[in-house]
Amino acid sequence: MFTTSMLLMLIIGLVTVPLVMGAVALTRDMKLNMNWWKWTLTGLWYFLLLFCIYLDFTFMGEGEIAAAWKLLLFEGVILLILGVGLVRILLSGRSAV
Amino acid sequence: MKDKKSNLTRRSFLKATGAVAAGIQIGAVAGAGLAAGSDPSTLTGWQHLGDNTQFVDRSKLVLKGKPYTIVGETRRCEYVESPFGRNSYMMRNMMEQRREKMKRQEIEDDYVRDVAPEGGQRAEPSGPQKPSFPELNSFSGPLLDFYKKFPEIYELDKIRTESIMPKRSEDLKKYGDYYTLIDAWANAWGTSERITEPPEISDFKLGRRSIPDPLPFKSPKHASELLKKVTHHFGASMVGITKLNPDWCYNHSLRGSKNRGAYEKPEHWKYIIAFGVPHQWEQVQSNPNMGTSSDAYARSTIAARRLETYIKSLGYAARRHSPMDGYDLVAVPILVDAGLGQQGRHGVVVTPETGSNFRVAFVTTNLELEIDKPIDFGVNEFCTTCKICADICPSQSISHADTNEGMNTRGYNHWEINQTSCYNYWMQSMGAMGCRLCIIACPYSRKNNWLHALARKADTGDPTGLVNDGLTWMQEKFFDTPEAAEYLPPPDGRFATFRDPPEWLQVSKYLDMNPLDPTKGQ
Repeated sequence: MFTTSMLLMLIIGLVTVPLVMGAVALTRDMKLNMNWWKWTLTGLWYFLLLFCIYLDFTFMGEGEIAAAWKLLLFEGVILLILGVGLVRILLSGRSAV
Repeated sequence: MKDKKSNLTRRSFLKATGAVAAGIQIGAVAGAGLAAGSDPSTLTGWQHLGDNTQFVDRSKLVLKGKPYTIVGETRRCEYVESPFGRNSYMMRNMMEQRREKMKRQEIEDDYVRDVAPEGGQRAEPSGPQKPSFPELNSFSGPLLDFYKKFPEIYELDKIRTESIMPKRSEDLKKYGDYYTLIDAWANAWGTSERITEPPEISDFKLGRRSIPDPLPFKSPKHASELLKKVTHHFGASMVGITKLNPDWCYNHSLRGSKNRGAYEKPEHWKYIIAFGVPHQWEQVQSNPNMGTSSDAYARSTIAARRLETYIKSLGYAARRHSPMDGYDLVAVPILVDAGLGQQGRHGVVVTPETGSNFRVAFVTTNLELEIDKPIDFGVNEFCTTCKICADICPSQSISHADTNEGMNTRGYNHWEINQTSCYNYWMQSMGAMGCRLCIIACPYSRKNNWLHALARKADTGDPTGLVNDGLTWMQEKFFDTPEAAEYLPPPDGRFATFRDPPEWLQVSKYLDMNPLDPTKGQ
């Protein structure tokens, strides 16, 4: 099955390169003045997002659809709160246009 | 100006590519998660019993023409055409000849006894006889017809009997020791006898013969290592070894004993190999009314029969104790002693691998083994606060007590349940009968995928109990499960199942029938 193959893992790894390049371009465009700890926080939030998606879809694969949706809602609220906090932190260091 | 425009384009491209890459990554992770949850290889411990073992789509390989070309008059195969078929005819022929010979012998004996002078003796054959293949005309029936038709095959069979097989016997005498373990392994996959004699006899017999002389192991550690490996190969998902405490043997009803009265633990039951096999996960989640114990019972029994024969083939006494052959012992404390798990509130053992979802078998032996130690991965603490099994039990047979202090079963303190009310509920359930609800409702009984492996790891490594509480809370809040009464028969309940049965257990999916569905309140 393709979804359990190493090829999929390779694709997930490979697309990280353009993703990071795109993120760098975006932050420069928005003049966010990123530094190491801002990138770390952003990376952690993104990892959490991927982890939650992986978690919820694993539950769906197990047939625990109701649990998956409830969990997604629960995680969504947490991710949203953390995301808003992250954006506020990133925007606070923005250079004057 | 041109440079600036070029920069803008490059940056826009990077941003767009990044956005697409993020989309691909999120989608891929979702797909991987879906696969991790539904992957059949996570269903049964080490075994891969899902339908994706047949992974080639044969519909794309369908042959355009006919699979066989007819080049003559077609006919059915004669049994004598196969060497195995000829063997069986030959055996029959030999038996007939032997019977005739015995008849002649009886006549001769009568003559010696009644007619010959005193001291008259028959001449004994001297020296080992060279095996000889019977003359063609000594055969009869289909075998004779076949050999007459195919004399070249007669010659080949003759060479096999007179040259090849004696040479093999010689080779076996010379090199046989080198192949000892594969012999034992091959024996193990063969049939095993019913237990009809007491341990002093049956445990030392391999088929009709006595077990061979014991083979020397380098050390008990080597013996344990080998036995654990082969027990896994025989189908067990988890294996542990311990010494047998006499208190764990039933006091009466020893299998094979004539009077089935009280007995002492046989001397040669020094060690016991305990092993388990999980139920098929989709059906066990459909309990109590759409599940069965039979699948794991059968698998653990087969593993026990194989292991017993294997140990006997190595020259040691062995007796199996399994669901389909019967037990002479109580399972739970042996599993605890052998380090397979801890006893839970629901009275059965919880393992770190498959929780309570497993069925067990044992083999007792006199082979010196290195034993395992009991384990503690926090089940006692978990069970004191969890109580999910007690809440869901349709017969309310599981205690809601905050602690098992004061519980006393034959002098031992541990969680105890009301076995009789539990058994009475079995008799009310539909399908293959029984319940198993506590087994599957236990938060430890989860599949072997990354998610549950992570949860188990976090739980066992957390001394604060926070993970315990978190997992129990999640189980209660996120998972929709029928209430205890819903599992009862109508009108009090609706024959509910813990989870919907898989499609391969649904009658309406495959059979042209329209049965009443009590789960929908019909």
